[in-house]
Parts: sequence; structure tokens; C-alpha cells
Amino acid sequence: MKRTIAASYPARPSLVPRLLALAVALTLPLASAQSARQTTLVLGGDFSDLITLDPGVSYEFSGSLITGNLYDTLVGFEGNDLSHIRPRLASAWKITPTATGSQITFTLRNAKFSTGRPVTSADVVYSMNRVISLKSPSSFLLTDVANLKVGSVTAPTPTTVVFDIPKTANPNIVLAALTFNVGGIIDSAEAKAHEQNGDFGSGWLRDHSAGSGPFKLNRWDRSAQVALDVNPNAFRRSINIKRVILRYMLESSAQQTALNSGEIDVAWDYTPDAFNAAQSNPKLKALKTSTFQMAYLGMNSAKGQPFEDPRLREAVRYAIDQDGIIKSLLQGLGRKVQTIVPLGLAGSNPATPYSYDPAKAKALLSAAGKPNGFDVDFLVSTGSCSGGVPCQDLAAKIQSDLAKVGIRANIKQMVNAELLTAYRAQKAPLIQVAWSPDYPDADGNGTPLADYNAHSLAWRNGWNNPQASKLAQSAAIEVDQTKRIALYKQLTDLMVKEGPYAILYQPYKPVVVNASVVGFVRNANGDVQFEKIAKK
Amino acid sequence: MLRRLALMVFVLWGVTLAAFVISHVVPADPAAAALGNNAREAQLQEFRVRNGLDKPMVVQYGVYMGRLFHGDLGTSLRTQNGIAADLAQFFPATLELTLVAVVFALFIGLPLGMLAALRHNRPPDLLARVFALVGGATPVYWLAILALNVFHERLGWLPGPGRLDAYSLAPPVVTGLVTIDAALAHDSEVLIDALRHLILPGLVLGAFSAALLTRMTRSAMLEVLSQDYIRTARAKGLPGRRVIWKHALRNASLPILTVLGSLFGSLLTGAVLTETIFSWPGIGGYATSSAVSLDFPAVMGVTLVAGLAYSVVNLLVDLLYVVFDPRISFS
Repeated sequence: MKRTIAASYPARPSLVPRLLALAVALTLPLASAQSARQTTLVLGGDFSDLITLDPGVSYEFSGSLITGNLYDTLVGFEGNDLSHIRPRLASAWKITPTATGSQITFTLRNAKFSTGRPVTSADVVYSMNRVISLKSPSSFLLTDVANLKVGSVTAPTPTTVVFDIPKTANPNIVLAALTFNVGGIIDSAEAKAHEQNGDFGSGWLRDHSAGSGPFKLNRWDRSAQVALDVNPNAFRRSINIKRVILRYMLESSAQQTALNSGEIDVAWDYTPDAFNAAQSNPKLKALKTSTFQMAYLGMNSAKGQPFEDPRLREAVRYAIDQDGIIKSLLQGLGRKVQTIVPLGLAGSNPATPYSYDPAKAKALLSAAGKPNGFDVDFLVSTGSCSGGVPCQDLAAKIQSDLAKVGIRANIKQMVNAELLTAYRAQKAPLIQVAWSPDYPDADGNGTPLADYNAHSLAWRNGWNNPQASKLAQSAAIEVDQTKRIALYKQLTDLMVKEGPYAILYQPYKPVVVNASVVGFVRNANGDVQFEKIAKK
Repeated sequence: MLRRLALMVFVLWGVTLAAFVISHVVPADPAAAALGNNAREAQLQEFRVRNGLDKPMVVQYGVYMGRLFHGDLGTSLRTQNGIAADLAQFFPATLELTLVAVVFALFIGLPLGMLAALRHNRPPDLLARVFALVGGATPVYWLAILALNVFHERLGWLPGPGRLDAYSLAPPVVTGLVTIDAALAHDSEVLIDALRHLILPGLVLGAFSAALLTRMTRSAMLEVLSQDYIRTARAKGLPGRRVIWKHALRNASLPILTVLGSLFGSLLTGAVLTETIFSWPGIGGYATSSAVSLDFPAVMGVTLVAGLAYSVVNLLVDLLYVVFDPRISFS
């Protein structure tokens, strides 16, 4: 017989009842285990990036995946549709201009936390102020992107919340940022009860939950598994899944074994090879799920750096055999993109002006005064790159592509943390990395990739283009959707020609599920709504 | 004896120094590693100050050692948990696996080695030699994948990765060893589940040690069996079994014990691959993820615990020497 995880042990019963219990246990386990299996969803994957389940602090993929099911945000997305923001804890909202910017007024629905307490506007105010004060890795979404301060969010009535936003922020981007787990609403009474040394309950919330989402945390055994139980108070009702278990399985081979033997229902991290094999297996469903990630080469364009001359950057874009990378290395698990806003976001630009053309690349090199090519240090991460390809394989392909036109890329492999340090210090002549936006809006790429002043990717590549900065800034705060998309068109067209990037691909994330699992959808943000899943 | 203990402390101090220096010469920023791709400069600086990373290395080492004397292993940069708590969580899983591997190695290696020596140059000997060669040369990750594929996926005899079945839930933590905790909780179902989960990884991890042990036992026994006193014992008309167990094995046990001691130490720290493939939540995975994310205090903690375990096992082996060979003593 299966117990609940957190069950406490009763005092030892006397012998006779224990023998009886044993007899029952020996005859019954199959039946009860069967029904538990039917209502338990087990995911196997690499969840080792999980460091906290506090929605205000978590900034990792696994953290967002789980907290998205433990906590409700005011607004959210449904399923795969990331272009329409929908009601969640807020049943309605309206945006009104003010003298200093704008106001978003949310009306809360009638909802309860897993603790049984009602969700009130005071909880919303507490949750927002908490994130701002915590200065967590994701706080900047509220402080820098939404320009909120403690006091910006107020609660005129128990069911109304008002966000005061200055002119420098776009209310639509604020809404998009609030869909991320940083906007998760916490039971303030519970958090305050567990506060220690002014941590806003962060230590406790690392491995406990106090939200209104469809699930509540049962237990997190670090490096082993995370177990979620259905939250009986939730308004997002789970169809028939009562428990979700995320098992740490780092190896694709271990996931394959476990999925084939029925031990897990969903494999989260398959390699392209394993994914291809799964596609022909009728017992499995192989899902190519979208992402907003972009694998790219960063080219240092600062004065005196190898890619100062824009013609050399263009040469690289012509020299890279994107189709070859997608077909052979990714085995189709990627899309060809060349502009800086990923496909699937409003403002993305599907243009692919660069075809694979080594002759043209050579001509550009000659025009830039480098007819014999040049040497450049090529910084590459150890481990796996987006799309599940080993970074060194990808780097070897790029090295050979570049060699064909005379660019001798000298591969320097290093752990990711080391790579990042060099990149941040503007010390990467040529680098192979990936980016994914922090919130599903074109600005999540526009500002960091185009605006030097944002001190992010454009800055790291020493690329300062005032026109691009201006376009990114205007597009960010433009409220009119048509005008905004036109601005992004201009920005992406400029960037594809001038920018310091050679976009390699936008990967799909392969997820393989047992054929009996229905309703499994992973959106491009990496979110899965567990309550919508059922097992046949 | 006291000298031995003093030496052990000295060795451990050396371990902290070496680990500290090595982990700090990596040209990368642990703050950036902990806070990720998008962290702002102000955040990075705040993190460095909060965790004392802005201070010179000598000062950082001083602070670390000062804490260590108070039994404080520091805080993990990545998880922000106490290192001691993290280790207490992950170490028992590795210890449990290692103990099972050693037991397997003993049960396979010792009899096989003895059999080989007693049936010198006959088929059992040949078999043992092939096993020692193949077992010692097979990469552990390959063996692990093969074992999973055959015994779990194809035949379905044994469970797959993990310490317990996904649908059964761990007993309350008392010792951290799931088998013991399940027994303490009178949960026979989980106990059986845990034991079944230990078989494959235990065998895989133990295979190399078993091979080595077979070879050591065989050669040690061969050497002893050719000694005069064995011939004398046999000539005296002592029963064969008594000669083998009492005289030969006892005298052959010293080299075997030495190997076993060093094996246990290397198993404890070398379980990384087995743990990864079997999704075993032990110290191996913790060590690699800490190293990759430049979590210095965690790396230091793991190194220290591994060093300590190694030293303790070696000390025990030395003490056992005295038991097995009265000629040796600590004076």
C-alpha cells in the first residue's frame, strides 16, 4: 500500500493488528499501486538547476516549471498561446493613462490558498514588495523592467490591486513580466509566520509552498525528486492527476530506460538521437516543443577587436552552414532564424537574408582587407548546448565552416561559468552561447541584444549603435501594437545587417511522453500546466 | 597511535589548503555562476560582498579555517544551504551504495581468488583470471548502461535508476540510509524496494573492486600456499580446510586488507559515474554540480569529507593489521 509522503508514523501497533495489516498489505499492493500509478504523473529529467522553490527568488528553468504549478500569477498564458495574456488570479484588468505614466487596475477573483486562507489584495501587495526588497536574481523584472518600487502597488479594496507605472515602462511589458513566477502570489500570513532575520520567509519557502496554484509542494528531496500533491482549494482543477513527481535523471539513457519500462511517463531531456528513435515507437509520443532560445555566435566589435569591421561580421554570417547544422547536428530539432527576435513572439522577423555562400564570405573578407583570412580565439562551453547538442560538436562544425573562408577559429573550451565571466568582461573575441528572453515579449531580446546602454549582450560584444539603441528603447515603451511591430521590423532589419551576432538556430526542446499521457503541452516559455494532463 | 592521529589532521589540513588554492585559481566568477546569465553588476557585487568573495584569498582562507575549527563548513554559494546539511543529505546515499559494493566485492572476489589459487592453472583459475582481467578493464559507465538495459529494461528482473521506485515514498530520515530507515519505520515494502534498487548499482560499482580483489587474493594465496609452513602443516596431517582457512588465508589477509582499504576510499569518491547513470542522489552528483557552478565552499566540503573518509578507512586498516599480524604493533 502506498503512503502519502509526509505521513507521520503512528505509534507501533500491537502484534495482531500488525500481522493483519501485513496480510492486507501483501494481498492488496498491486491494486492500490495500480490506481496510484494512474493518478501519478512522473517526469524524469535533469532538474539539477533547481535551487529554490520560492517564486520570488527562483530564476531557473526547473524552478519556473514547478512554481508555475504551485503559485498563481495575476495574469498568465494558456497552453501554447503566448501572444494573448489571460486572466488568472485577476479576473479582469484595465490600463489607464495617468499624469506620470499609467495605472493597471486588477480585479481579483474569489480564490483560496492551499493553506485555506482567501487570496486578498494585501497578499498581492506583500508578494510584489517582497520581491522588490529581496533583491533576488529575478527582482530586476519588477524593479528595472516594470520600474516598480515599494509603494507602487496598492490595495484600495480587498479585491482590487493597482500598479502605478512610470512613463519609462510599458504596461504591456509589465503584464508580460507578471506572468513569470516572479509575479507569483504568496500567502502573506504563512510567509510572515516563517520569516527569519528579515528574509520574508524565503528560507522556508525554498522547500515549502504557500500558493493558490493547482498543486502544493509535498516534498523536495534534493538531487532525488520533487513531489507535488494536488491542491484541493485550487480554482485551476486538475483533471485526474493527484500527484506529480519530478525525478532527477541526468542521463538521457536513464530516461530512455525508465520511459520504456513505464517507470516514468515523461522524459524531459532526450538527446536528438534518442528522440529520433522515439519517433518511430508507437508506445511513445515524441513532441517537438517550441522554445524562445537562440543559439548564436557573438562577435566582439569593439575598436581593435577582430570583428570591428562590419564586413567581417557579414562574412561570418555567409560562411555558416545553418541548414547543415540543423539537419545533421540537431537532426531537425531546430528552426532557421537570422534576426534577433525569436519566432513565436509578436515583433519577430522571419527574414533569412543570408544563404550559405562561402564565395561571398571570401569576397567580403578581401574587401575588408583580409584576403588571407585571420586568426581568432573562439570561446566555447563544455557540456551541452541548446537543442541537446554537445557544444564541442557544434563548435567543430562552425570551426570547419569558418576555415573554408579563411577564418581560423582557435577553439577554447571552458566551463560555462568561466565562459560567462570572460563574456561579461568584454573579453570574448568570438563566442558560442545562447540567449532566451526573461519574459515572453520582443523586448526580452530587443533591449539586451540591441541597446549598448543596457549593459547586456550588445555591450558584451562591444557593439555600440545609437540608432539601434534608440529603436530598442522606443519599441520597448510603444503602447500601440501596430507601431510597435513596425519598430521591431526596423530594429531586426538593422541588426541582421549590422549587429554583432550570427544567429545559428532557434532550437526545439524534445520531450517524449508515454502514449497514455494526454493533454501534455510545454510552451515556448518552458511551462507545463500539470493540471491539464491526464493518463488514459 | 597519537602520532597517527596527528598525521591525519596534518593530511586533512593539507587537503583543505590544496583544494582551496586549486578551486580559487580558476579564472571565473562564482557570483556570475550563482546568479546566472542576466544578473546585473550591482547584484553581482552585492553577492560578492555578502559571501566574502571580495576579500583577498588569504583572508578568505583564514575565515574559512576559522569557521572550520568551530565545525562550520560554510554555506553553499549555489543552494545557500549549510554545506554540512547538504553533505548530511547526500553522503548517506553514497555510503550505502559503497558498503553494498564492498560487500559484493568481498563475496565475489575473496572466494573466487581463493578458488583460483587452490585450483592453480586449472579451469577455475582460468575463469578467475579472465574475470579479473575483464572486470578490471571494463569501463564502469558501459557496464552500468549494459546492466540497466539487460536486467531492467529487457528482462525486467530488477528496478531501474533511483534509490526507490518512483511511486513509493521514502521513509522518514533517521540515518539517511534508506534501508536502515525503512527497517526502523517497520516498512517492509520500502525496505525490499530499497534493497532491490541497490543490487544493480552495487554490482556495477563493486565489479571493478571484485576483479582487483580476485587478483590480489589469488596471488597472495598462491604465495602463502608455496611457503614451507603450509607444507609442514599439511605434513603434520592437519585437515585441508583448516590449513587453508587458518594458516593460509590469515597470512594472505594483509595484502588483501590493504587493497580493500584503498578500494573503499576510492569507491566512496569514485562513485560519480555510477551515481550519474543510476540517478543516485549521492555525493558524486553534488560534487560535480558544485564544481561546475564554482561553488567553492561545497567543493571544499566534499573534498574534506572524502579526505576524512579515506583517512579513517586507512587508519582502520592499520589497526586491523595488528589484529591479523601480532608482529606489528603501534608503540
